[in-house]
Amino acid sequence: MTDAAFPPVVKTGLADWFRKHFFATWYDTIFSLIFAALIFWSLQAFIGWAVLDAIWRVENKDLCTRDAGACWAVIESRGRLILFGLYPYEEQWRSTLACLAIIVTIALSCLPRFWSIRRLPTLWIAGFGTFVLLMRGGLAGLEVVTSEQWGGLSLTIFIFSGVFVIGMPLAVVFALARRSSLPVIAKSFGLLIDIVRSLPLLTILFAAAVIVPLLVPEWLQGNKLMRVVVAFAVFFAAYQAEIIRAGLQSTSQGQEEAAVALGMPYWSLVVDILLPQAFRNTLPSTINQAVITFKETSIVTIIGFFEVMASGNAAIGTGEWGNQYIEVYVFLALIYFVFVFGLSRYGAWLENRMRLGHA
Amino acid sequence: MRDIAISIKNLDKYYGSFHALKNVNLEVPDKQTLVICGPSGSGKSTLIRCMNGLETYRSGSLEVLGLPVGDNTKTLDQVRKRVGMVFQSFNLFPHFTILENCVLPQIRAIGRDRAEATEEARDQLKKMQVDDHVEKYPDQLSGGQQQRVALARALSLKPEIMLFDEPTSALDPEMISEVLEVMQDLARADMTIVCVTHEMGFAKAVADRVILMAQGEIVEEGTPEQIFNTPQQQITKDFMAAVNG
Repeated sequence: MTDAAFPPVVKTGLADWFRKHFFATWYDTIFSLIFAALIFWSLQAFIGWAVLDAIWRVENKDLCTRDAGACWAVIESRGRLILFGLYPYEEQWRSTLACLAIIVTIALSCLPRFWSIRRLPTLWIAGFGTFVLLMRGGLAGLEVVTSEQWGGLSLTIFIFSGVFVIGMPLAVVFALARRSSLPVIAKSFGLLIDIVRSLPLLTILFAAAVIVPLLVPEWLQGNKLMRVVVAFAVFFAAYQAEIIRAGLQSTSQGQEEAAVALGMPYWSLVVDILLPQAFRNTLPSTINQAVITFKETSIVTIIGFFEVMASGNAAIGTGEWGNQYIEVYVFLALIYFVFVFGLSRYGAWLENRMRLGHA
Repeated sequence: MRDIAISIKNLDKYYGSFHALKNVNLEVPDKQTLVICGPSGSGKSTLIRCMNGLETYRSGSLEVLGLPVGDNTKTLDQVRKRVGMVFQSFNLFPHFTILENCVLPQIRAIGRDRAEATEEARDQLKKMQVDDHVEKYPDQLSGGQQQRVALARALSLKPEIMLFDEPTSALDPEMISEVLEVMQDLARADMTIVCVTHEMGFAKAVADRVILMAQGEIVEEGTPEQIFNTPQQQITKDFMAAVNG
């Protein structure tokens, strides 16, 4: 009877794993084989095009024909245009450093140890300060480059992080105001959020770029890029506010009562108790909103900014590389993929960390 | 003569058109334990929640430690810092450790520095016998342990009055006694206590007075002996029969 006392030994070899997951039944086997063939075929076609038959160097540009593989020479020749836009060639090292400064700032602010009321703003003021100083110049012997000449990946990341950093606190304010116990405040912020959400982003950015200068005194206008980032941030905040409000509502009433009964002040109730739980509860939607915003930055092309997508289009806009649009788009897709995939993996990491209890 | 900790006169409360508390008059002397019982919907939780301003009322007067509990948020704050409360559903902060649950309210509510608050919190958690779990998060603890942490959290603020709103109703039967024991210790240590509960054993052991509420009114009031052994009202007799099975 000792047999019954032990569970049967499960074989966990590689062959068993394959049998269990891919060939368990006859129709599993058929689907597995079909998909294996499809994957194999598309992979080898892609690798053949992108690597084996590819032409890498500009010297070999003449070999780029329709029958050849990918013509990566276009990236060697036009890569700087894609990454830096119209930024002056001699000064592009500044754009590179500025871009790195913002990326480091983003990476650091992803770490929970920087999440305090004092550290986060300090970090971002330093990050943006470095960025603007490097990009704009005019100090320490750096030549002035106006924001109309900023472009490429640096501009995309600048717009994205600007929108996020201005938009997130705005969203918190919007969400709290909409839940206010004072009906005038609650109603007017509700109306503001609903109006902004009802307008297309394009209209809002266009208004900020073109119409605001006609209505607002000059000293308050800022430059076009600033206006666009602020308008974009308001748009982001209207959506994010509703996500945060959902998070606040999903936090149990008892949390608020406990904090109130303990005599904790309102700001502490919001900052220590409600918001951390609201963000925890809505992390997937927040990451989703960030991803959408990152991709939507390409819309600023319409009002004359050459962010990475527009710069990519400019790179193939000349007759010289007009046939290499696939290569350029693959390259652009790769850039977007690195950022957006990074963002989603970060979200997954955070979610997992929070499930373990840490905040 | 004894000092009066809580004094309620002609208290009326409505939820819309529903008359939730009807002309309630009640005094809780210092250092006494008052148990409020009654069938569900009788207004007992509403009454105890009025005592620290979690609920508002329409008319009447309510004074706690000599301070009027009403619209004035300043006095409300003072009252809440001196009155602790424990809830049916514990309401620990799930994103903080057990220790931080007890430390942060001290820092935020009464401005203690972190070192002092930590010492006080550890002290209270030890008294509640949950000091083995200080680095855990609330969802890693049993219901009974969580409720004792909630008690330690409230006691860390050194309250003069403790309010208990059905503190054992959400607990599994085997955990009820571990919470009741620490509450009894507190009552014997001369804390002023108001407790809404169905635990008649607790009432018999430590209550100075018991009131029975029904439909928003206090229907009977007396010592535990009077209420349990010689109830005057039919509704009290029915209720005692029901809770004693």
